[in-house]
Amino acid sequence: MHRGQDADLDLVICDGASRTFLRGTVRVPAVRPTSCTVVPGMRVALTGPSGSGKSTLLHLLAGLETPTAGTVSWPGLGGPPQGRPGVVGLVFQGPSLVPALDVVENVTLPLLLAGADAVDAVSWAHEALDRLDIGGLARKLPEEISGGQAQRVAIARVLASAPRLILADEPTGQLDHATGERVLTVLLETADELDAALVVTTHDEQVARRLALRWRMADGVLATEEIS
Amino acid sequence: MIRIWLAGLVRRRAGRLGVAAAGVAVAVALLASLGAFLASSQASMTARAVRDVTVDWQVQVQPGADPAAVLDTVRAAAGTTQAVPVGFGQADGLTATTGATTQNTGAAVVLGLPYSYRATFPGELRTLAGTDQGVLVAQQTAANLGVAPGGTITVNLRGGAATSLRVDGVVDLPAANSLFQTVGAPPGSQPNAPPDNVVLLPEARWQDLFAPLASGAAAADGVHTQIHAARSHALPADPASAFVAESGQARNLEAQTAGAAVVGDNLGAALDAARSDAAYAQVLFVFLGLPGAVLAGLLTVAVAAAGADRRRREQALARTRGVTTTQVLWLAALEAGLVGLLGAAGGLAAAALVGWSAFGAVRFGATPVAAVGWTAGAALVGLLVAAAAILAPAYRDVRSATVAASRRTAPDARSRDRSPWWARYGIDVLLLAGGGLIVWSTTGTGYQLVLAPEGVPTISVSYWAFAGPALLWVGAGLLIRCLVETTLRRRRLVGRVVGPVAGRLASTAAAMMARGRRPLARSVVLLGLALAFAVSTATFNATYAAQAEADAQLTNGADVTVTQSPGVRVGPEAAPPLAAVPGVRAVEPLQHRFAYIGKDLQDLYGVRPDTITGVTALQDSYFQGGSARSLMATLTTAPDSILVSAETVKDYQLLPGDVVNLRLQDSTTKQLVTVPFHYAGIVTEFPTAPKDSFFVANASYVAAKTGNNAVGAFLVDTGGGDVTTVAAQIQARLGASATVTDIAHTRSRVGSSLTAVDLAGLTAVELGFALVLAAAAGGLVLFLGLAERRRTFAITTALGATRRQMRGLVTAEAAVLTVGGLVAGASVGWLLSQVLVAVLTGVFDPPPASATVPWAYLGIAVAVTLGGLGIATVGALRPGRRAPVALLREL
Ligand SMILES: Nc1ncnc2c1ncn2[C@@H]1O[C@H](COP(=O)(O)OP(=O)(O)OP(=O)(O)O)[C@@H](O)[C@H]1O
Ligand SMILES: [Mg+2]
Repeated sequence: MHRGQDADLDLVICDGASRTFLRGTVRVPAVRPTSCTVVPGMRVALTGPSGSGKSTLLHLLAGLETPTAGTVSWPGLGGPPQGRPGVVGLVFQGPSLVPALDVVENVTLPLLLAGADAVDAVSWAHEALDRLDIGGLARKLPEEISGGQAQRVAIARVLASAPRLILADEPTGQLDHATGERVLTVLLETADELDAALVVTTHDEQVARRLALRWRMADGVLATEEIS
Repeated sequence: MIRIWLAGLVRRRAGRLGVAAAGVAVAVALLASLGAFLASSQASMTARAVRDVTVDWQVQVQPGADPAAVLDTVRAAAGTTQAVPVGFGQADGLTATTGATTQNTGAAVVLGLPYSYRATFPGELRTLAGTDQGVLVAQQTAANLGVAPGGTITVNLRGGAATSLRVDGVVDLPAANSLFQTVGAPPGSQPNAPPDNVVLLPEARWQDLFAPLASGAAAADGVHTQIHAARSHALPADPASAFVAESGQARNLEAQTAGAAVVGDNLGAALDAARSDAAYAQVLFVFLGLPGAVLAGLLTVAVAAAGADRRRREQALARTRGVTTTQVLWLAALEAGLVGLLGAAGGLAAAALVGWSAFGAVRFGATPVAAVGWTAGAALVGLLVAAAAILAPAYRDVRSATVAASRRTAPDARSRDRSPWWARYGIDVLLLAGGGLIVWSTTGTGYQLVLAPEGVPTISVSYWAFAGPALLWVGAGLLIRCLVETTLRRRRLVGRVVGPVAGRLASTAAAMMARGRRPLARSVVLLGLALAFAVSTATFNATYAAQAEADAQLTNGADVTVTQSPGVRVGPEAAPPLAAVPGVRAVEPLQHRFAYIGKDLQDLYGVRPDTITGVTALQDSYFQGGSARSLMATLTTAPDSILVSAETVKDYQLLPGDVVNLRLQDSTTKQLVTVPFHYAGIVTEFPTAPKDSFFVANASYVAAKTGNNAVGAFLVDTGGGDVTTVAAQIQARLGASATVTDIAHTRSRVGSSLTAVDLAGLTAVELGFALVLAAAAGGLVLFLGLAERRRTFAITTALGATRRQMRGLVTAEAAVLTVGGLVAGASVGWLLSQVLVAVLTGVFDPPPASATVPWAYLGIAVAVTLGGLGIATVGALRPGRRAPVALLREL
């Protein structure tokens, strides 16, 4: 499944990476210079107050934002993931389904972008949806399902493309407790099966406790915890 | 609060507001420009009608009334600038002796003209030979009598007296028809032709001859006086008002003289004819311009609709914050008003600019009332378009939407897979069929679009005929939409079609288009109709121009026509020297004789059938019973063949092959000889020929049978070169022996028919607007549609799509729009062109054989459309400066 990548190399290395936004003329330092490393098989819970820069850090790790200073590199993934669908899977915090595509089509989209066969893509998509207990929604449009259901579809979309790095931005934010637990279980199981690293942001202590490591963010500053 | 909101609106949505206002401006500008066109064309129609009248009033003094008193009354009438008396007398015949032979004519008319007549009415007489004043003889009379200036004629008066007169000059009477009209008789009972024999005398000589008769019993025999008056030409610009004002004056004069005078109102008659042309111009506007204005309105609505989702979200947000629905509506109304006012102001300014550059004047109507009406009307339309684009959807939302529903962006789930009601009941097909039926019934029966009964002040325009094209427009639009939606629903098919551009994402692209088929189909309809507007307008304009050219050729004969002066006799051998003149491509001699059929005298044209088409265009519509080419071939193979008028065929019950015996003058004996011809077909129009009956025969056969190969005119082809220079050179070479006319001069003078109205201004305006509409429909609608899709593209990019894949997705949609729009535009445009030309056949006399297709313009229109589409595609694909995640946060 994994294309030409060395299983032992670090997946992502942030070296003094920071991200500052301009809001009008005001500079907002969302992520201050940060160094961190994500290695294969890592399970990280990223916590911190709202606005502390968690989502921005995930976007940096996913290669969707360019650091204002410092560098981000992906030695274990064979280079930057942009334009390489399925290398990094990111579950967005907000709604991220294509409104004009139904649930299955949304889930197959990154697979097709990656060049997968259409028939295979559909069967993988169904598999992923079933694991998240939303197989029955396959033919619904995003507008016809609830926010929590949409969030699970976004997770299924990541799982179906079997990435080596899974980044989930508050995947349980819109779910009731039981469903949240279940979704997290699926995420952990899948990460195990794929031998992938998993980084989950959350405000939920119970969720955070199920992950081996805890990274805390406050005002753009990341405090990492070494593997014990 | 309103001020805050307005400020926010202008700051955040200036682009969208601007685009909507621009759409409104285009609609307003198109309407106002058409108003300007109407104003200028009506003014020019009035001017042209007035210019072509030689004598404005011919006031006939009734028997027993005092001519001097009538003259005074006419002079005193408001608007009269000059008035002179003209005597009309009858003679039993004329006689002249030339050499050994004596020629006699039948009845003749003798006119008595005051010395100032020629200066006052310069168009009435044209001197062909001799002097301008004195005893003048009409051209045909001189030909019949064989006299030239210096010769002597004898006038045989009623009652036996005869007077001999020395001829001073030979003249042409270009306006003979109106000069010899029966004053007071209804148009239908006017004599068919002016008298054959006319002598014109100075007033005093005429008095000597006819004063003794005028008071006696002979007065009833046609000796009478007319007062010829020149009238002020400061008339209302619009022909209809001018007619009403002018004919009112004429009736007023008749009432003043208490029956002593009857007014032959030539000026009124000319305005009367121009009136129907003006009505036609109005019809043209409705047919050609209105669809464009409606399209501009639809385009604006579509542009506004592209921002509807965002507006809906904003409104929902406003309402959760406690803004009432009434306030929401007020804000929408305010926005609509702002857009409408901006658009109307911009549109009127643009129209003023267009009017100034195309028609040379900034006037939106022929009269002040019309101008105010046009301006207000155009501005009102602008406000209505803005209301339909902004207020109406807001109202719909407020009525139907709950806060929760406003997060819906795609079509309602329930209605998703159902066709719209009109498609389910086949309304589109019904409309098309109804439109076709109306067009068929209105064109099939020689139906008159504009009825302006002569002399009656009211004009009736058959607005029913508009229903045909209107239904076709609407029906075609609905049908395109239905077809596109049906096609887009078949995803597999669409996927296969867009496969080449979208690659592996073809099915995704197809799915996106299937879900978004409503707006996409609407875009295809807009693009298709905009192109159809361009195609039909351009085709109509080109056909119109071609026909105007054919009309001018028909009147002038060819690019340059050399007509021999009376008495000058040259044969075909004079052609080669003419052909040697620089700029001349070919010269064709055309015989012109007079031939008797029974008692009728008709023109006969002798042609060289194998070469005549080399210098002048013979259209199939000039003939019946064969095409131009086949009938000319018949004249070549069977030289005794003859083409006659439909009237002659009817009068003499002719069947093809029947013998037609004509009497023509033999050149040596000067006697009429009978020449047998065989009837081969009907000719209705021929270069240089009159509108009524005439013959066309083989020139060598006529020459052989009459011993005379004299040529009446030479048709000169310049091959599109400078006709004016060539005409001047030929005239210089030939001097007084011939009259040289060129088509450029004729073109500017052809009657008062509508073809003479210069459509150039209207054409430029319309074609320009058509291009703007096509480019906007292509580019703007696609761009806004893709902009709506920005969220989708941001997600797809965030999921890792390459630039090539994004290009594939966007291009697939652009391709569907392009192909759909071009196919729809070409087919609907073709249909509407046929309909326009058919319905407006009344404008053309003779009607065009087929529509002329302006390929160059259509090429430009397609290029502009593709350009618009291309720019929109590239614009939508332009890499955003911000990361897709940033976009996702906002959308
Ligand atoms: N595209 C952007 N433009 C401007 N400012 C931004 C942008 N993205 C994030 N920010 C700002 O950067 C800071 C960090 O935002 P971020 O979304 O990373 O926080 P977060 O920790 O994920 O918060 P939450 O827990 O609420 O999701 C915030 O102040 C936010 O307003
Ligand atoms: Mg966040």
